Amino acid sequence: MACRGDEPGKPFSAILSWVSPGSLPTHRTRTHNICMVSDFFYPNMGGVESHIYQLSQCLIERGHKVIIVTHAYGNRKGIRYLTNGLKVYYLPLKVMYNQSTATTLFHSLPLLRYIFVRERVTIIHSHSSFSAMAHDALFHAKTMGLQTVFTDHSLFGFADVSSVLTNKLLTVSLCDTNHIICVSYTSKENTVLRAALNPEIVSVIPNAVDPTDFTPDPFRRHDSIITIVVVSRLVYRKGTDLLSGIIPELCQKYPELNFVIGGEGPKRVILEEVRERYQLHDRVRLLGALEHKDVRDVLVQGHIFLNTSLTEAFCMAILEAASCGLQVVSTKVGGIPEVLPENLIILCEPSVKSLCEGLEKAIFQLKSGTLPPPENIHNVVKTFYTWRNVAERTEKVYDRVSVEAVLPMERRLNRLISHCGPITGYIFALLAVLNFLFLVFLKWMTPDSVIDVAIDATGPRGAWTYRCSHRKRRSGKYEISKTR
Amino acid sequence: MCAQPVTNTKEVKWQKVLYERQPFPDNYVDRRFLEELRKNIHARKYQYWAVVFESSVVVQQLCSVCVFVVIWWYMDEGLLAPHWLFGTGLASSLIGYVLFDLVDGGEGRKKSGRTRWADLKSALVFITFTYGFSPVLKTLTESVSTDTIYAMSVFMLLGHLIFFDYGANAAIVSSTLSLNMAIFASVCLASRLPRSLHAFIMVTFAIQIFALWPMLQKKLKACTPRCYVGVTLLFAFSALGGLLSISVVGAILFSLLLVSISCLCPYYLIRLQLFKENIHGPWDEAEIKEDLSRFLS
Amino acid sequence: MEEERSFSDICGGRLALQRRYYSPSCREFCLSCPRLSLRSLTAVTCTVWLAAYGLFTLCENSMILSAAIFITLLGLLGYLHFVKIDQETLLIIDSLGIQMTSSYASGKESTTFIEMGKVKDVVINEAIYMQKVIYYLCILLKDPVEPHGISQVVPVFQSSKPRLDCLIEVYRSCQEILAHQKTTSTSP
Repeated sequence: MACRGDEPGKPFSAILSWVSPGSLPTHRTRTHNICMVSDFFYPNMGGVESHIYQLSQCLIERGHKVIIVTHAYGNRKGIRYLTNGLKVYYLPLKVMYNQSTATTLFHSLPLLRYIFVRERVTIIHSHSSFSAMAHDALFHAKTMGLQTVFTDHSLFGFADVSSVLTNKLLTVSLCDTNHIICVSYTSKENTVLRAALNPEIVSVIPNAVDPTDFTPDPFRRHDSIITIVVVSRLVYRKGTDLLSGIIPELCQKYPELNFVIGGEGPKRVILEEVRERYQLHDRVRLLGALEHKDVRDVLVQGHIFLNTSLTEAFCMAILEAASCGLQVVSTKVGGIPEVLPENLIILCEPSVKSLCEGLEKAIFQLKSGTLPPPENIHNVVKTFYTWRNVAERTEKVYDRVSVEAVLPMERRLNRLISHCGPITGYIFALLAVLNFLFLVFLKWMTPDSVIDVAIDATGPRGAWTYRCSHRKRRSGKYEISKTR
Repeated sequence: MCAQPVTNTKEVKWQKVLYERQPFPDNYVDRRFLEELRKNIHARKYQYWAVVFESSVVVQQLCSVCVFVVIWWYMDEGLLAPHWLFGTGLASSLIGYVLFDLVDGGEGRKKSGRTRWADLKSALVFITFTYGFSPVLKTLTESVSTDTIYAMSVFMLLGHLIFFDYGANAAIVSSTLSLNMAIFASVCLASRLPRSLHAFIMVTFAIQIFALWPMLQKKLKACTPRCYVGVTLLFAFSALGGLLSISVVGAILFSLLLVSISCLCPYYLIRLQLFKENIHGPWDEAEIKEDLSRFLS
Repeated sequence: MEEERSFSDICGGRLALQRRYYSPSCREFCLSCPRLSLRSLTAVTCTVWLAAYGLFTLCENSMILSAAIFITLLGLLGYLHFVKIDQETLLIIDSLGIQMTSSYASGKESTTFIEMGKVKDVVINEAIYMQKVIYYLCILLKDPVEPHGISQVVPVFQSSKPRLDCLIEVYRSCQEILAHQKTTSTSP
C-alpha cells in the first residue's frame, strides 16, 4: 500500500513510540466512526493541530475508525493518509482569514454530507471555536441527525463588540450540540458562560504532551551561567511587552544571567530594541521561528522557563518545559494555575515587578541548590498527562453521546428559538430549515444508496489494521493508493 | 479518573486542578463552579448632580451655536450695527483674556511657555488677514444659491456639535475637524451679509465664540466649578432670550432640548446602569498596567 | 469467453461491463453507457426552441428562430462528436501494454496506448470530484529517471465513472495480469 503523503516529521516518531510492545489494542465491545473536523490541521502548526492528530492516533489504537476533515493547504488537497491509516480529507474550500474558511452555512453541505455518508460516520467531533468549518460541520451534522461533540481550545472575553458577536454565534452553534469538551476548568467556566450551556454537558479533558519527546538533558546546559528560556510566538497576547521589561531589569542585577528566546512575531522588534539599548547582544539570543521538533533542543539548554502569556486556556508550553525538567515561572492567568502543582511552578501576577520577583526566587533556589534535579521533575510530570488518558476520557464522552438521541427537527427549532434569543433564534431556525431542505434536495439528487461506502483504513475492519496484523497476505486485499 | 471506587466521593474534596486524577466524572460540576465570577467590577457609580454638571459642556456648546445664529440673524436683518458687535466682541475678548490668566494664577501660561507678545502677534496677523480677505469672503459664494448655503451651514454646525471635544475618549472626537466645520459655516453665512465689513466681523465673532470661548470654559470648569455653573446658566438664559426675540416656538423647543439634555439624559443614564451586566473572571485577558516605555527610552 | 454484467455509475445511471478473456495474458474490459435517449434529446430541443420563440415574441426578429435551429443542430453535432462517449474500452496484454479506447457517439474513436515497460502499477484512488468524493481506477507510470518514482497518473474510464464494485472487478483482473507479467518477465 503506497502511502505517499509527506507526514509531519515529528508525529511519525511519536507514533512509533505509541505502538511499542505492550500497547496492544484493548478489546472493546463498542467502536465508533469518528470524524474530526477543524480548519486547523497539519501542515499548519499549533496546539489544536497536534491535539487532533495525537487524539486520533490514540483512538485508532483503541480500535475506532477516525477520519479528519480540514481545508486544502496550498497544493495539499484531496485525500491523504497519515501514519496508521489516519485518513485526512483536504477539502477545496476558500480560506478567508487566519487559515479559517469562509462560512455561508450551506456551501460545504454537499461535500461534508458525501463524506459523512461514505465513511458511515456516527460522531462528528469539531475542534476550535475559531474554525468556521467546525461550526459548519456541527450545523450539517445536526441536520443529518448525527451525534456531535465540540472541543473548545480557547478563552474569550466578554467586553468588546467582536467577542459579543462571536459569543452569540457560539451560543447558536452549541445550543443543540450533544457534548462539549474543554481543556481546563477555567475554559469550561468560560465556555458555559459564553454559550449559556448546561454545565453537565461540558467535560474537562486536558491536553497532553508526549513525554518521550520532551526528556531532560542536564549536560546540555552550562552550570556557570543561568539560562532563562522563553518559547512562544512574539505577540501581544503572549506578553512579549512584559518580557521586554523583564530582560533589562534582571540582566542588570545578575551578570551571569542569559536569555534564550525562541519564536517569531510582530513584537520581535521591541525585544531587538531592548537588546540594542542595553548592549545585551551576547546575553539575549533571539532564535526566530522554531520547528516543533527543535523545541526540545532549545528547552534543555535552560534552567528556568518563563511564560508571560496574558491569556491561556491550557498552555502546553509550560508542560513541555516542565517535562524537560526546567523550573517554570509563569503568569497566573486563565487555566495555567490548574496545569502544574505548586512545587513545580512559580506563579506571578502579569506585571514586570511580580515576574521579576518570581524569577529571582527561582534563581535563588537554583543557586542554593534546592531545586529538584531535572530527571525527577520529568518523572513526576510524565505521569500527569498522556494522550492515552485523553483518548480514554474522550472515548467515554463518545460512549455517552452515542446513546443520546439527536434532537428531531421540530425540537431543534424550538431549542434554537428559546435558547438564542428571539431575533437570532428565528434567523438561525430559518437557516436550519433551509439547510434541511437543501439536504432533502441533495438526497434526491444523489441518494445515499448511490454513494460508495469508503474502504475503512482504520477501525475494527480497517484495511490498515488488517494489513498490520496480516502483513504477509498482502495480495489478498485490493489496494487504495495515495498519489500526489 | 472515574475508574477508582466511588465510595469515598463524599470525603474527597474536588480540586480545580488538572494534573491529579480525581474520582469525579469529567463533566462533574462542583459547588465551586463559577465562584471566581465577578460582575461589573469596572462599572462606575454615577452621582446625579455630577452627571448634570458634566452635561453642561454640551449645553454650553448648543448655546454657542444658538447665540451665533441669533447674532447672524440680527446682522442680516440690519438690526445690529457691525461696529457695535466688533466693539463688544473686542471688549469681551480682552476680559476673557485677562480672566484666562487670572483663573489659574498664570500656571498654564508658564507651562506652555507662550509670551503675551506671541499672543498679540497672532491676533494681529489673524485680524489683518481676515480684514484683507473679507471682500473675497463676501463674493466667494455669490454664485451658490442661498438655500444651499443655509443647508450647508446647518450641516456644518451639526457636524461641529457632533465632533466637538466634550471630554469623551472616543474615536469620533476631533476638535480640529469640529472647529473647521464651525468656521466653514460662519464663512458661508457671512457671505450672505450685506457688506464685506459685516462678513469680516462675523468671521471674527465665530472665532471668538467657537475657538476662544470653549478654551476659557474648560479652564473655568477645571478651576472654579461654581463660577462655571453660574456662567453656563447666564449663557443659556441669554441664548434663550436672544432666540425668544426672534421666535417663541423656537425658544420653547430649544429650552426643552436643554432641559432634556441636562436633566433627563443623566437620569436615564443612571437608570440604565441597573441593567449593566459585565462579566469578569480568570479567563479575561490580563492587562499590562505598568508603563513599559521607560525600558525603551 | 465473454460475459456481461450491469453496474451503475456514480450518479446512479446504468453501465454495462463486458469482459472478454482472450487468453490468460490478454483481457478486455468494455464499459458502455446507455445511448442518448430520445426523451432527453426532445426535452433539450423543446426548451431551446421554446426559449427562442419567447424571445421572438418579445423582439419580433425572425433571425432568432433560425439561429435557434442552427444552435440546436450544431450543439447536437458537437455533443455527439466531442462530448458524449458511448463506450470506453481497456485492453490489457501482459507482454505489450495497456490500450484505452473511447468511442464517441458519432463513431469517432480516440485511443491511448501505454507500453508495459512504462506501467508501474494499476491502482484505485480516491479524489474529490465536483461535490463528490469518488473512487477511480488509474494507471501509474514509471518515472524514467527515478525507478521508484511516479511520473504520471493516467485515469481510466474517465467519462463513465463507474462505482467501486465495478472498479474492483477490473482492478482484480488487471492485478492478475500484472502479476503474471512480473513472473514471466523475471523468470527467463
